Amino acid sequence: MSRYLDTIAALATPVGTSAIALVRVSGPDSAQLVTDIFGEAPAPRLARHADYRDRQGLVLDDVLFTFFAGPASYTGEDSLEISCHGNPYIAQRLVEDLLSRGCRSAEPGEFTQRAFLQGQIDLAQAEAVMDLIHARSERALAAANRQLRGALGQQMTGLIDELLIALARVEAYIDFPDEDLPAEDRKIVENQIANVLRGTDRLLATRHYGEVLRHGIKTVIIGEPNAGKSSLLNRLVGKERAIVSPEPGTTRDFIEEVINLGPHCFRLIDTAGLNPKPGAIEELGMGKTYEIAAEADFFLVVLDATSPTPLFDIRLSDLLSPDRVIVVVNKIDQPGSPSTLEFLPPARSVAVSAKTGLGLEDLRSALIGLADGLAPHTGDDAIAINARHAHALNQAKADLASAQLKLGENAASELVASDLRGALAALGEISGRIDNERMLDALFANFCIGK
Amino acid sequence: MVYNSKLFDVIVCGAGHAGVEAALAASRMGASTLLLTGNIDTIAQMSCNPAIGGQAKGQMVREIDALGGEMAINTDVTGIQFRLLNESKGAAVQSPRAQCDKKAYQFRLKHTLELQANLQIFQATVTGLIFTSGKVIGCRTNLDLDFMGKTVVVTTGTFLRGLMHIGQNKNEGGRLGDFSAKTLSNSFLEAGIELQRLKTGTPPRLLGRSLDFGKMQEQKGDTQPTLFAFHDTRDPQDLFHVEQTGERRLGWKPGFEQVSCWMTHTTAETADIVRRNLNKSAMYSGEIEGVGPRYCPSIEDKFVRFADKPRHLLFLEPEGRSTNEFYVNGLSTSLPFDVQVEMVHSIPGLEKSVLLRPAYAVEYDFAPPTQLYPSLESKKVENLFFAGQINGTSGYEEAAAQGLVAGINAVQKGRAGEPLIIKRHESYIGVLIDDLVTKGTNEPYRMFTSRAEHRLLFNHGSAELRLLHHARALNLLSPQRIARVEAKKNSINTWIKRIETERVAGHIFGDRIRSQGVDSPTPNSFDLVPPEVRQEVLYNVLYKGYIERERRHVLKLEQTEKIKIPADLDYSSVRGLRRECAQKLAAFKPYTLGQASRISGINPADISVLLVLIESTRAGQGRP
Repeated sequence: MSRYLDTIAALATPVGTSAIALVRVSGPDSAQLVTDIFGEAPAPRLARHADYRDRQGLVLDDVLFTFFAGPASYTGEDSLEISCHGNPYIAQRLVEDLLSRGCRSAEPGEFTQRAFLQGQIDLAQAEAVMDLIHARSERALAAANRQLRGALGQQMTGLIDELLIALARVEAYIDFPDEDLPAEDRKIVENQIANVLRGTDRLLATRHYGEVLRHGIKTVIIGEPNAGKSSLLNRLVGKERAIVSPEPGTTRDFIEEVINLGPHCFRLIDTAGLNPKPGAIEELGMGKTYEIAAEADFFLVVLDATSPTPLFDIRLSDLLSPDRVIVVVNKIDQPGSPSTLEFLPPARSVAVSAKTGLGLEDLRSALIGLADGLAPHTGDDAIAINARHAHALNQAKADLASAQLKLGENAASELVASDLRGALAALGEISGRIDNERMLDALFANFCIGK
Repeated sequence: MVYNSKLFDVIVCGAGHAGVEAALAASRMGASTLLLTGNIDTIAQMSCNPAIGGQAKGQMVREIDALGGEMAINTDVTGIQFRLLNESKGAAVQSPRAQCDKKAYQFRLKHTLELQANLQIFQATVTGLIFTSGKVIGCRTNLDLDFMGKTVVVTTGTFLRGLMHIGQNKNEGGRLGDFSAKTLSNSFLEAGIELQRLKTGTPPRLLGRSLDFGKMQEQKGDTQPTLFAFHDTRDPQDLFHVEQTGERRLGWKPGFEQVSCWMTHTTAETADIVRRNLNKSAMYSGEIEGVGPRYCPSIEDKFVRFADKPRHLLFLEPEGRSTNEFYVNGLSTSLPFDVQVEMVHSIPGLEKSVLLRPAYAVEYDFAPPTQLYPSLESKKVENLFFAGQINGTSGYEEAAAQGLVAGINAVQKGRAGEPLIIKRHESYIGVLIDDLVTKGTNEPYRMFTSRAEHRLLFNHGSAELRLLHHARALNLLSPQRIARVEAKKNSINTWIKRIETERVAGHIFGDRIRSQGVDSPTPNSFDLVPPEVRQEVLYNVLYKGYIERERRHVLKLEQTEKIKIPADLDYSSVRGLRRECAQKLAAFKPYTLGQASRISGINPADISVLLVLIESTRAGQGRP
């Protein structure tokens, strides 16, 4: 039996692109999660292949998962290991989904700690665990402090201060009912909540830029088969990348490489071999390519200079706005007539030969040019929030929305306060715990209290 | 010289609101108890306003009643006006408040103490404590009489080096007309207990017949008074009053013949007088070093800090039925007496008023409460307990709550029993003590509902139910009353279950109540249920979602609360603990992992490291 009530989840393999990423879950909800996510009863110690469906029912990835019934597991309690494709984006999505299902983001060293506490390990082993927790938390702390000293910290402080004043405004009328306070004006509280909500939205909007900073600008290479997409990828990466023939149903259906150009990091995704002909998308349902394309930052639309009328899926063209597209006319080393691009809005166009390297420098400059325009408009400093931040912000948003609803219904102040406190606690997960004393400071600074 | 060769189980120094609860709790638990007071005539004196309860405090008084304390019943019997505050803000934050007859309150408590078995009261000023090898064993008094006890509870209020200020005028004393305990502070310092200064203040008292109530607004009590004690479960003999008992004890039927308070306000002239004389105020001329409470500022502070507010509300509160003295709530000041008179006369209705006592500020020593375990025992001196204003709190209710807990724990300590540690999620008393011993305080600490993160669980009517397990474990209530509380709890749970399962017109009763309010239909015989049960049931039904959410949080928190940290743990040798954290914890000696996690600057990783160590040590000990 587990001694813990909460279920923790985290990415167990290093962040970055590797073949396989492991997401680990431990705690009493593990079995229920198997049922909820995979729609089947948990069978201990059996590696199962299944689609991972998020709470909206969307397939995030096809994964291998193994359920372990405690105490026969690493942590000694019910746990779940999910192997997904090594794409950091997918792994993050999985973790995020687990958090939204009520899991808690594991503290540094927490799996090992649970493993230790569930078993009976001697002091020497305990000390090894303590060293591990210490080392990991120092790193985590240093990283968090760096972030909070920056623009994220400033924005958080702004939000928290505003929320504290809104809460103080509610609390003042609860805790000092006999005071000579100005008539309670809940409209002000509503406005303040709206301000905080706008702030959380602003921060959440940087979520994507955060991903970009951490994992590279998602650049999807599309084009008809044989336009030379793979050659182009290999040329940009600067090495001969073995194009792994995917084992059916087990590995991912696209190829990915990370490159650095100028100050930017690009994640190039080649949809080689799977780029469907027109009409094929419907057959695949919401196919992988379309899904990936839908979340791309940039597109390299590769056309074959030797083929006059390229085949192109009109659905994709909806996604192609000029500021996100570079049209790469490939195979200029070969004789042929230039392609017609009527189906595309006017976009930058570069003529290259992936084979000889001709024009590649132009393509690199064009990519840097696009990336320069990508920084979000959140102020002077770049802000980048991560999955844990996003989870906390979304939680705060939900609480704030609930408070708004209650104010609208003219519900009891103590219930509005309860929601605002929930939102504050969620923001505290990013900024560090917010002591109630700060609310009282705001209260006494803004209201004349005292008989 | 030892006057009484007896070795007491518990000696309580001070008979204010903390001291009387400590003495009653200890003696009621069967411990031989001595209560020392500098003046028997001022037992349980209301040094400031003649009122009990109010926001959060009202709930706390009901909690005191649930643990067998005296404050609630004493207030009910001597209250002269009752009001339930916050009726519109939600059921959890509704708080009872009462104006009391100041003298009647004291007399009834004094009489209760006199009649209490196992308790001896004696008038003597404690001048010092007697220590031996890190433990307290008794105390010395101004009469050169020493008293020996297994444990000592110190409840000195504002009397430790008390210094009163009226403008430039200074008088030593903890309260106007009373003495100052000057040498006792040295005793604490010798024992290594740190002391700091705090400040509080009180307004002038006026003669009622000099007031023009026609110019004021009347504030009446509730027609249906909300009382503090749980009369539905209390023993009938608890509610004595003159007509009903052979003993000639004071009191009358709670809530009868209520009197009114009166509201008036400061004027532009008042503001002008205060501003012109600001430099004469003890607070503003640098005479006072102690920190005062933000929630109870002097009138000087109000005009300075909120300069744009044209006027401030004042309440005239009667001090009793058999006196014509009135307390001016809101007019606390340390301005000189002549300015006070001028100021009071600038207020509508008080133009011709006669001052019976001046307003004054008082500074006093307190011992920062982070020097205490959650049992309220000193970490520095064994068997020594602190309660009330010496711990940096303000308010009769806060004092009484601590006194009750300290008294109980002094007995438990003497009997080598488990201390009573009330958790943050169980009651305001739990929040109070945890805040004090974990965070300390920079100003006189007053309870607010907003200090309690789980206040939605703390509605005043549930105090008895929430604290039943403590009362039962320590025999704090009579077996009959425990049985009645249990029956009440069962009845409440049965009704909740019925309302959440039975249906009306296809709908669960509970769902209808939540969507359409408390006037929705209920199962048939629910109308016949006693109001105390009914209210609790409806509260639980209406707030079902919130209560469940709170309980989930609480369940998580309880994990770390259960894990005790050995008092002799050598933090400096704990691998993986940051050095500054090790030093902080070593100085603090947290009682449980939960308390450690609430100390500022301690992060979750530190707690993880501690958890691993504690569990491995425990596992090691468990082996053959």
